[in-house]
Amino acid sequence: MNRILMGLSTVGMLMAGTAYALDTEATDFRDSFLAGKASWDDVKTRAAEEGTVNLYYWGGSDPLNIWMDQVVAADLAKLGVELNPVRITGTKDAIDLVLAEKGSGKGLGEGSIDAIWLNGENFATLKRQDALFGAFADKMPNSKFIEWNAEDPRSLLNFRDFGVETGGAEVPWSGEQYVCAVNTDRVEKADTPATFAELRDYLEENPGKFTYVKPPHYLGNTFVQATVYAHNPDGTGGEPFQNSIDDLGAEELARLITPGMEYLKDLEAFLPGGKSGNARYPEDNKALEGMFLNGEVDFACKFGLYAVATGLRDGTYPEGAEAFVFPEGAMIKNKNYLAIPSNAPNPAAALVMANYMTSVEAQVSKLKFTGMPPGVDPWMLDEAQATALAEASPGLVGITQAELDENTAPDTNATLVDVIEATWLEYIERDSDDDIETIVARAVENLK
Amino acid sequence: MPPHNTKELDRHRRERLWMWVQLLPVMVVLVVLFGGALVLAVMQSLGYAPWFGVNTFPDLSYFRALWGEWSFWQSLGLTLYYAIVSTLLSLVFGIILALAMVRIFPGKTLYKYLYKLPLMIPYTVGIALAVIMLGNGGMLSRLAEFFGFIDDPSEFPQILKTHYGWGIIAVYVWKQTPFVTLTIYAVLLGVGRETEEAAAILGANKWQIFFQVTLPQILPGIISSTLIIFAFNIGAFEAPFILGGGYPDTLPVIAWRYFNDADYSLQLQGMATVVSIALIAGFILYGYLAFYRRYERRIGRS
Amino acid sequence: MARRPVQTALNSRLSSFQKIYLLLVVGFILGPFIPLIIQSFAFRWAWPDLLPGTWWLEQREKSLLPLAWDYVISPYSRVWEATLNTVFIGTVVTAICLAICLPAARVLAREDFRGKPAFEFFLSMPLIVPEAAIGIALLMIFIKAGLAGTYTGIIIVHLIPTIPYMIRMLTAVYQGLGRDFEEQAMILGASRWQVMRLVTLPMLLPGVVAGALFTFLVSTNIFLLTFFLGQGKIVTLPTLLFSKISGGTLDASAAGITLIVTVPGIILLLITERFIKEEAFGKGFGN
Repeated sequence: MNRILMGLSTVGMLMAGTAYALDTEATDFRDSFLAGKASWDDVKTRAAEEGTVNLYYWGGSDPLNIWMDQVVAADLAKLGVELNPVRITGTKDAIDLVLAEKGSGKGLGEGSIDAIWLNGENFATLKRQDALFGAFADKMPNSKFIEWNAEDPRSLLNFRDFGVETGGAEVPWSGEQYVCAVNTDRVEKADTPATFAELRDYLEENPGKFTYVKPPHYLGNTFVQATVYAHNPDGTGGEPFQNSIDDLGAEELARLITPGMEYLKDLEAFLPGGKSGNARYPEDNKALEGMFLNGEVDFACKFGLYAVATGLRDGTYPEGAEAFVFPEGAMIKNKNYLAIPSNAPNPAAALVMANYMTSVEAQVSKLKFTGMPPGVDPWMLDEAQATALAEASPGLVGITQAELDENTAPDTNATLVDVIEATWLEYIERDSDDDIETIVARAVENLK
Repeated sequence: MPPHNTKELDRHRRERLWMWVQLLPVMVVLVVLFGGALVLAVMQSLGYAPWFGVNTFPDLSYFRALWGEWSFWQSLGLTLYYAIVSTLLSLVFGIILALAMVRIFPGKTLYKYLYKLPLMIPYTVGIALAVIMLGNGGMLSRLAEFFGFIDDPSEFPQILKTHYGWGIIAVYVWKQTPFVTLTIYAVLLGVGRETEEAAAILGANKWQIFFQVTLPQILPGIISSTLIIFAFNIGAFEAPFILGGGYPDTLPVIAWRYFNDADYSLQLQGMATVVSIALIAGFILYGYLAFYRRYERRIGRS
Repeated sequence: MARRPVQTALNSRLSSFQKIYLLLVVGFILGPFIPLIIQSFAFRWAWPDLLPGTWWLEQREKSLLPLAWDYVISPYSRVWEATLNTVFIGTVVTAICLAICLPAARVLAREDFRGKPAFEFFLSMPLIVPEAAIGIALLMIFIKAGLAGTYTGIIIVHLIPTIPYMIRMLTAVYQGLGRDFEEQAMILGASRWQVMRLVTLPMLLPGVVAGALFTFLVSTNIFLLTFFLGQGKIVTLPTLLFSKISGGTLDASAAGITLIVTVPGIILLLITERFIKEEAFGKGFGN
């Protein structure tokens, strides 16, 4: 009996020791990788040992899901890593899970999430809570396809995500721009509005023919931001909104967004249902596109350089759909990224996956399947790669690249996003009687 | 006679023990899990959430903030309105259907399959059907255009996503009428037709038969089925979320929005909301049941 | 002068009002499925077309990605996975629920004990308290217990809404059973085991089967609890469908998935109607 007990306890200690060893191994591995001491072959070997990578990403796009299951899983299997794609309904859920696991003491090697597709406030939350793996983005073999020269102004979005410094803790995956589509079967291209004032005029003659996705959905936030840029009383567009809330201050923010918010409040009367006082905002872009397809609205906006081309290809857009320039000077451009949390269970596999996602083949097939523009910087590629990328593009419909470039605007600072969202919810959805200054001040207080 | 020798006492004690053991698993699930979750929700709503860094127990401020807002009462009103209207409609439609089902007609066997279909499939399917039929871009709207009533989808009357909630009510009625029918039909079969026949022979007309003979007989079935569907309607989430008119939403949707907000302190506000829902539902249903029991005692049925 | 007796219910025909009513009801219940089926075969079906402008089969070759039914049947839609999960969870929940409710129902039907009314009230509480109220709290408990996102967690949680139904139906059955049959069998010399096998079980069976089918039905329709506890890792037919139509719009693949979600219900309907009579359901709810 005693011998059995001793045997069991030895085995127990060995197992505990092994588990402990693997965990210290994980942190050792991370430290040596971030210090540049681990070779990529070491990473690949460790990744094959770990065997799986759990990628959490927004699962609302069928083409993306198909690409993940069909192409990515197969390619990663060739590298010895099994992809476990977890489709989530809201990126915030993944952030919550990471933080909850961190809170219950799970460290590197012990959590559930290896990588998350995110940007903006979600990344800012992870960074603020110190829940990131570390500066891996420029240390991978395929990092050479991204501009890491801080002097070059084109590298801005590689270093700052919604104004927050990425510190290399997330690697760009796709680039996007906020583009609107019009149904030319119902509206003459010449009549399409290019500014907010023209939109209001159009809606006065054709009430109920436009709506936007409701905040707190990120598309809703983006539309509100674009409105606020265009109505900036100082005329500086999106410039001041690059500062954090601490730098800007509640009062200044309120002053800057008031004209835009009042415009949106006025606009409510011209939205579907607005006449009876209950304006309808679709909950997500699928709903808005459904309305667009059926002719309930004449315009639909979202992040999608190639949205019209893919929409026509997949049957979700009406036949007369074309992109157009709106809003002038405020077509927000940003990137989205893949981040590795601090308690990733398979860090090496995550790195291998991130490296794969940054490769030109992956970017090309992603573009072809889903229409998501590349996150790598085209000027860092050689001729053959750049051509492959250009050919895979579904093409721009109704708008030129020059027009897109002329009307870009930067995304809003992550700390301001929640405040502006809360202000919209309070001022417009809940129809508060308070003035915007009070609302903004209250929002800033609550979000501290 | 109580057992008075040790052997009998032992056996009695063992039997009692065995009885509790048999009840144990059910009690564990209900008391530990269900009860535990309720207790946790109540504690959080009163400010006890150390894992969020909040410990202001006992703190009524969340309830005060919630009940102090006019929008809470609007949401409560909407929740009750959808629940009451759909329960009443399901009841009326269900009773009429049940009364028809007790008769004989060709195709009755097939019909018995068909009318039960909504019972077997999830609410979400009903919601999908509502979307495809009743939306502004839906089938009814297209038929209206076909017959020349409208020219543009926006001219079609707004059925879904309004606070009148016709879409929500339609889904509830679609799903719950078969349930009411099933219950009432079963009761009708069980009770038998003799009393009705007797009344008919005595010269009663069909309205008198219904209100004075049939209705009292099926009353227990009515009460139990309406209890269940009303309770469900108060707490339902999917239909008001997808088909509702936006702010102010029903209470379960409001709770969901709180839970999903970027502002983490609204989690506790969400808990206050769900506890309020549970309290209100419990209060109404208990009152309903107590009222019915009093009625039963009055008419002499125990 | 004698009046003609009013036709009484059970052996009379339908009035014309009732005939029309029956047709309307069946139209209301089944009618909406027709556009649903059409939508599942469409590529683009925009307003105001009564039939799709472009059908799925026309576009099939030209498309890079699987469309409509191709997508639904493909592994990318997760439909097969969701169906297996739903059926598996439903079966296990039914088995466990039966196992723990059967003894408890016998006790409730036969014995009396202190606190019995309170216990019965507590048993009915899950019917009154909505899933939304306990969902998040349960999630927190299960995260602590390490069961969030696991099959075990979901199965345990499904027991909460199903136990009240199962216990009610089984208690009614036991009450109908009565001790007499068992006692008579024992007087006639049967052993406890024989009594159980040859008397109790056969008499219980209809009620048990009804309860089991109803529990399976409830479990396969649960959305909110599965959504919270599954954490996106475990997908069932209700959660899959919800995420597809949560925006309030229905494309071809969503229509196809909706139809697939209906299939288990239809199968259940066929089984129930063949083997259970209406009375068995009525028993559990008549009181």
